[in-house]
Amino acid sequence: MKFFKLVQFLTLILFLIVNLQPLQAQGNRDFMRETGKIYVVTGVILIIFAGIVLYLVRLDKKLTNIEHQLKEGKNE
Amino acid sequence: MNTNFANQFLTLLRKEFVIEFRQRYAISGIVLYVISMVFVVYASSIKVGPKEWNVFFWLIVLFAGINAVVKSFVQESGTRQLYYYQLVDPSILISAKIVYNTILLMALTSLAYGSYSVVAGNPVKDPGLFLLVLFLASLGFSIAFTFLSSIAAKASNSATLMAILSFPVILPVLLTLLRLSSVSLRLIQDTAYRKDIINLVAIDVILVALAFVLFPFIWRD
Amino acid sequence: MWWKTTSVILLIYAIVAGLLVPLKPGIDRVSPDSALTGSRLDMQIHGYNTWYSRGNTADIRVWLQYDSLRAVAGTDIRVISDTTLAVSFQLPTTLPDGGESDMLNLIVSHPTDGVSLLPSALEIEADTSASSSAANWTDNPVEKLHVVRDFSYPYRNVIYETIRNTYFHVPMWFALMFMFLVSVVYSIKYLTRPDETSDQKAVAFTETGLLFGLLGLTTGMLWAHYAWGKAWSNDIKQLMTAVALLVYAAYFILRASFDEPEKGARLAAVYNIFAFSSLVPLLYIVPRLFASLHPGATGNPAFGSQDLDNTMRLVFYPSIIGFILLGVWIANIRYRILRIQQLADDQD
Repeated sequence: MKFFKLVQFLTLILFLIVNLQPLQAQGNRDFMRETGKIYVVTGVILIIFAGIVLYLVRLDKKLTNIEHQLKEGKNE
Repeated sequence: MNTNFANQFLTLLRKEFVIEFRQRYAISGIVLYVISMVFVVYASSIKVGPKEWNVFFWLIVLFAGINAVVKSFVQESGTRQLYYYQLVDPSILISAKIVYNTILLMALTSLAYGSYSVVAGNPVKDPGLFLLVLFLASLGFSIAFTFLSSIAAKASNSATLMAILSFPVILPVLLTLLRLSSVSLRLIQDTAYRKDIINLVAIDVILVALAFVLFPFIWRD
Repeated sequence: MWWKTTSVILLIYAIVAGLLVPLKPGIDRVSPDSALTGSRLDMQIHGYNTWYSRGNTADIRVWLQYDSLRAVAGTDIRVISDTTLAVSFQLPTTLPDGGESDMLNLIVSHPTDGVSLLPSALEIEADTSASSSAANWTDNPVEKLHVVRDFSYPYRNVIYETIRNTYFHVPMWFALMFMFLVSVVYSIKYLTRPDETSDQKAVAFTETGLLFGLLGLTTGMLWAHYAWGKAWSNDIKQLMTAVALLVYAAYFILRASFDEPEKGARLAAVYNIFAFSSLVPLLYIVPRLFASLHPGATGNPAFGSQDLDNTMRLVFYPSIIGFILLGVWIANIRYRILRIQQLADDQD
């Protein structure tokens, strides 16, 4: 079910990016559309990076669990 | 050998009909389901144009199809399955089930089409093509659902699992069907619809081949 | 080990080259963007990434093009700034095919920037009361263009710099297909000879494929928000990818719903093969049936030469290979974790 947490995270990031736009548009500046929409490319790279990092965090947690399991096994 | 194969196949097919006839509540449940769905469309008092007609019709057929086919493996008791396992070749068993379910689904789609035409009108402009689409739909649904119900039957929560497994798999078939039936309703103009029919037949052939190859792996326990 | 290094080098190359290589000069918009036939039109051209004042400015040429044979040349070309150009046109009295209105393309040929084109730049309407004008359509055919060869990415309106997303969003898709393919191979292997290793590898590759699918979908939604105006526009490819993800989510639910691991592994392998085979029509047949906002829609869901030029290929293909190798790396780690988990469980 941790997989769904990953989904939640990605959706949250996207939600933030997309929904911050109206706020910025009120100031008559659409940050993401400036300089040929280059920040969209930055956003895409960031999403990929964040997604892979979140997956790594998940793998890390799995390994920690296994380590605990092995330690308990030894103590018994 | 060949006659043996044909004999076993026919025996199994007959057995399916006999069981269905004995447990009439199952089939009447599905029929009732189709008719009540049709009446829900009627009672919702929406003006059903050809476009809505198309969508509602395929929704009814899809849900009725899943409910009709899901029981084909679930209803068999464990001892009876063991009995089949010792007696017949799995490929004969799956082909008998697929043929039976195709016939069942053809009957159901015809029923749905009939009752739906009475209640919501019949906007079909090309009945020949539409009937062909109904046949291809019954065939495609029957193959995919029969195979998936054999997987789902192995789990405890088979009804839920059946829905989860079958909706994504059936989607390419369903989208092609919707498009073809839109052509037969003259909702869209498409002279190249024959290619869609070939696509659909190709998908069916792939699914049948897979079902034959993979079914023995599900069957052995 | 070498392939892990290759993956990192290729990805760094893709990010650096993908971000640093400039776009070709292009035309952002023109004002005014509509005119009547027979009138004299003073137009301002707003360029993107252009250096209009460089080179021999007397050599700049501008056309309003109707089709490959018919065009009107611009006169009195003045460079206002590096990104603004003023030009005048004497429009002919009637439209070539006698219609009510039509769209004209704008072509600018600059000695150092090269040729740039804005499709459907000007809407021209037939003015029946116009007095006859001297100009006509075939006077100045588009010729003697300045061909400039440089290392740059194509310019497209609306997309602008986001064309660089081709190197980051599209490879997700290739990586996903590769991961699912490998996973199916291991599933087949598991069915022919049941062995925990094959099953664990199939699971690891499916999971990595799903990760790429999610990333592809999310990055696609971000790009779509700024290129198509909506994050989710029920485009057929968006729908199909979402369904493909559902298929593989069902794979994990199926695995989880069996108490005996051996039975779950076997049925999941069967479902994996079945699902992958149904994915092929899903991804290659169905998108051809429906109109799509994606490039190369209706008839050819792949990239056409229109969408990918040779400069882009130099970054695009390495990026695909880089992401695939990264995916194999991640899947490999996931598989080793599954194996250690197994060993730890056995020890208890």
